[in-house]
Parts: sequence; structure tokens; C-alpha cells
Amino acid sequence: MNLLGSLLVLLLPLAALLLPVASFAAEPQEIVCIQCHGAMPGKIGEPVKLWKGSIHAENGIACNACHGGDPKDAANAMSPARGFLGAPKEPAIPAFCGRCHVGVLKDYLASAHGKALGKGGPTCVTCHSNHLVVKASLDIINEKRCSQCHSYERAKVIRAAMLETETMIVAMDKRIAVYKGQGTDTESLEKGLFAVRNRFHTLFHNVDVEMVKKESAGIQADLKKIQAQLTALDESRQKRKIAGAVVVSAMLLLALFAHLLRKTFD
Amino acid sequence: MALFKRLIDWIDVRIGAREIVAKELTGYLLPRNINAWYSMGSILLFIFTLQVVTGILLLIYYVPDADKAFKSVSFIMNQVPFGWLIRTCHAIGSNMMVLVLFLHMLSVLFMNSYKSPRELNWLTGFILFTLVQGISLTGYLLPWSQLSFWATTVATNSVGAIPAVGPYLVEFLRGGTLVGPPTLGRFFALHVALIPLGMAAVVGAHLFFLQRTGVSTPPFGRKETANQWRGDGYRYESHPGGIPFFPHYALEDLRSIFIYLACFLAVVFFAPNLFFTGDSFLPANPLQTPAHIKPEWYFLANYQTLKIFPNEFIGLSVQGAAMTFLALLPFIDRSKERHPLKRPLFMICAVGGILLWIGLSVWGHYS
Repeated sequence: MNLLGSLLVLLLPLAALLLPVASFAAEPQEIVCIQCHGAMPGKIGEPVKLWKGSIHAENGIACNACHGGDPKDAANAMSPARGFLGAPKEPAIPAFCGRCHVGVLKDYLASAHGKALGKGGPTCVTCHSNHLVVKASLDIINEKRCSQCHSYERAKVIRAAMLETETMIVAMDKRIAVYKGQGTDTESLEKGLFAVRNRFHTLFHNVDVEMVKKESAGIQADLKKIQAQLTALDESRQKRKIAGAVVVSAMLLLALFAHLLRKTFD
Repeated sequence: MALFKRLIDWIDVRIGAREIVAKELTGYLLPRNINAWYSMGSILLFIFTLQVVTGILLLIYYVPDADKAFKSVSFIMNQVPFGWLIRTCHAIGSNMMVLVLFLHMLSVLFMNSYKSPRELNWLTGFILFTLVQGISLTGYLLPWSQLSFWATTVATNSVGAIPAVGPYLVEFLRGGTLVGPPTLGRFFALHVALIPLGMAAVVGAHLFFLQRTGVSTPPFGRKETANQWRGDGYRYESHPGGIPFFPHYALEDLRSIFIYLACFLAVVFFAPNLFFTGDSFLPANPLQTPAHIKPEWYFLANYQTLKIFPNEFIGLSVQGAAMTFLALLPFIDRSKERHPLKRPLFMICAVGGILLWIGLSVWGHYS
């Protein structure tokens, strides 16, 4: 007797699931900048590829956010009347990026780096590159990059002073991400860490060894507060596991009890 | 003790309680060779009760509103004392209900208990199976997560393949052209009121038919395994010299339920996210389709079936045919023999069908 059917488990057509979803996905339309430049060879098409791997792309910051213009109208996309700015000249770069990264611009301008702007000093893109901007980390401070302009010694000291804090932040970020992926409400933890990380990141741009050492202590104290919250979460999860072991064992014992009691009636 | 006896006497002289107990419990006899598979139904009844209880508790904090649903579930999981436990039990419980239902169905299948005079037991069981699938599908949307939203979009979309009425039906299910707040409203009504009440009613019918036909005798360990029913009149299948339901088999039921609870709670406490993906923890976003939307494991075979056929309608028809076949199995399989090992063709088809279903599910999972 054929059971094929039974086993094909099936359902009300109602419940049937289908098809690659992509066919009716609400895919956002690609902006015109990418439609044209994406297909162009060489220097003029390159930024699109680089940008696609950047933190900007990840956060939905597209061409027009920096370069202006109209991303929806191919004919007037690069019209100055629509606010198109093009690429900034070197001395204008910090102001260009600083429209969004206000705090960083302030720190940079006050630092030895910012003071050397236009006199061969570094701009934002010297360290961060322009289109392939990745999430900033301590790795940006390295001998190869710093020694383009000066010796690595002082930078190395700064890097060492910041390493411990950076390591803490990265580790906590990972722990928060794990909890978030399990459905834990990590909003306040994320906000807390975000604030501390921003405070910490201002140190990157003031390139002042003493300042770094002084600030790091306060930042680490703040991090320890967040860490305590994470530890409390760890403990509560651990408690749940212990409770689980107790409850599961109790059920098995009850099953055994029911089994033995049943035997007495034979 | 004397007080207890007086209380029982007081009730007994009024409604004849002892007579009911003697008839339905201590004097209710079951076949001597009854096995543990017969307690799957009791486990299912227990799971259904647990789902109702946890569901009612969730209703206290859940807000069936597209703007608030996700946050309210997150609140239950993170703020409400033991809310995480109630919600995890409800979510894992729904998966367990489908799993145990499959086992219940397979045991009935391999013991050939669906044969005359038990067609009505099988039919009501089949209806319960579809209702369980319906309640799973509607409940899936309620958290209003990315996973909920897109899985529902895909599921309701497939109905559009039905000729003529398809597009109208999709709109009817969704309460609009796309999944949105109206969909949540109707799915909520189905999930917390209509389907549970329907299930309770059909469970009642299922048990009523069991009560009227009597428990079937397992075909194992007996010389005579042919179906004895002749169809010439109503006859209750009693089991003289059998095992009393109470306390004997009731304790076996209880043992099965505790073993089930141990397995169930092990998942709840040690693998609470077994059935959740990352998309379950992101609020629904109609403008952004997640990369991999897969239905729940028990719908993977259906999902894959639809993908195999180039034409959606054919895929749907095949499923409809399979479901119809399953529903009508007692009317199609008319042979008297009940022992599966004496029915090679039956075994080939049954095992083949199960392997096909598993194969399609695995394929669906990796496709």
C-alpha cells in the first residue's frame, strides 16, 4: 500500500513554501552613480569596487553622501546645481570627511597631524584610504604607514598604551554580539560600549602620548562597568543551565518512579 | 482519610462517580501486548495543554500590533520574570508537537491501526495534523521578526499559483497585497482563537471515536494478525483479560510524558536557540529581504517539492495529491493483514515514502 503520500508530508497548499524568495524581494534600486561607474574601467570605475567592501557601504552610506549630486537622475547626477561636489583637493579633505565625523575633525585639527595640514602632513585618507574605508582599529598604527612621514618610535609607544584598552573593547564587542545573536536585549550594553569606544577613538587622533596614558585609565574604568553587566549575564545563563540540569534530572527520576510503580501492579 | 471517603461518598451518591471510574478507568481494559507507542497520543494531549497554558501566559504581555509585537516579544524574553522560559517552552513546544505528531502517525501507520473500523479516528487525526501545521504557520508570524515576516511572505505567496482564485486568495490571506499589519491581525485571531478551539473540538472527536471503537490491538507478537472487523454492525473492541487503563497504563503514559519532558526541557535549557536563526532576532523589515529564508524543518519537504517542479501549480498539485492520499489512506489500503512484516509491498512504500520525505527535507535544508 503506497505510503508515498503520507510521507511526502504535505500540507494544505496553504502552508506550502516556495521558491527562491529573491523573485519578489523588495531589492532597493541601485543608484545611478553605481549603475554608470560600476561598469567603467580604470580610475573612474575603481572607487565603486573599493566602496563595496567598505564600512560606509555596510552602513548604507553611498556616493552622494560624500560627493553630493543626485543619485536618482542619471542626466543630472553630477550637476553642481544638484549639490555635486566631486573629489576634494588634498587640503580640503579633512573638512570633507568632517561633515559627518565632526568630533574626529576637531581632534585631528588640534593634533600635530592636523597642524601640518597642507605642509605635507597626513589627511584622513593617508591612514584610512579614501573609498575602501574599513572599521577603524589599532592596526592602522603600524610601522609601514607611520614611517612614510616620520620615525615609528612615538607612534609605537602610543599604540602600546592603547593596545590593552583596544583588546578589551574588541573582546567585549564579540561577547555582546554573541548575546545579541541569541536574542538577548543588548541595546544598553551596545550604547554604553559605543560611547566608550568613541571616547577612546578621540585618542587616536590627538597623537599625544601623555594624553593617551591619562585617558586610558578612565576609559578602562568605564569598560569594567560594562564588563560587570556582561559577567552578570554570563552568570544568569550559567544559573539557567544548572536549573536545567536539575529539572531534566528530576523528570528522569519521575519517569523512573512511574516505571517502578507500574511494575508493582504486575 | 475518613473525611476523604465521606467526600467521595457525597459525590458518588449524587452522580455515580464510582461507576464512571470503574467503567472508564480501572475497568477499562487494554490489549495485553500494548506498547509504549500507544502513549504518543497522551504525550500530544499533554503538549497541546502545555502550549495552551504557555500561550495564555504569553498573551498577557504580547501586543498584536505590527509596531509593537517585536518589542513586546523582546520584553517577554528579557524583562518579564521567567518570560524567557515561557516563550522558549512555547516555541520549542510547537516544534516538539509536530515531531511527536509524526511519531504518533508513524506508529499508527506501521501497526496498521487506521484500518476499519477506525477510518474516522484517522480522518480526525489527519485534520489535527493540518490544524497543527496551520497553527504553527500562523504563530510563526506573531513575533514580527525578519524571519516571521519573510517566511509568511513566501508561504502566502505560494497560494497564488492556484489557477483563477490564486491572487484573490493571497490577498485574502494577507489582508492586502503584501504582508503587513492586517496580516498580523488575522493570523493572531487564527492562532489564539479559531485554530486552538478547532483543535480542542477535533481532539474531542478524535478521543470520542477512540472511546467508541475501543483501542486497537497491536499486530505484534500474535499468531492471528488479520483485521477481524466484518462491517456487519457496530461492535466495541473490548480486551477481556487485558490491562486496566488505571493505574497500569496510566502510569506508562505518565512515564512516557516524563521522558518527553526530560527531552523537551533539555532542549529548552541547553539548546534554546535550536529552532531560531539570527533573523528571528531582527525586527521585520519589508524593504530588506534576508539572504536565506527557509521554512521550519517540517515544511522543508514541501518547500523543496515546490522548487523541484518548474511550474508552481504542479508543485502545489503534487502536495495536494499527497495530502489527499494520506487523508484517504484507510479507504485506499483495504487489505485485511495488519502485521507490517507480512506486507512487503506496504513496507517498501512506507519506508520509501519516509526516506523520500527525509531526503526532500535534507535537500531543502541544503539547497
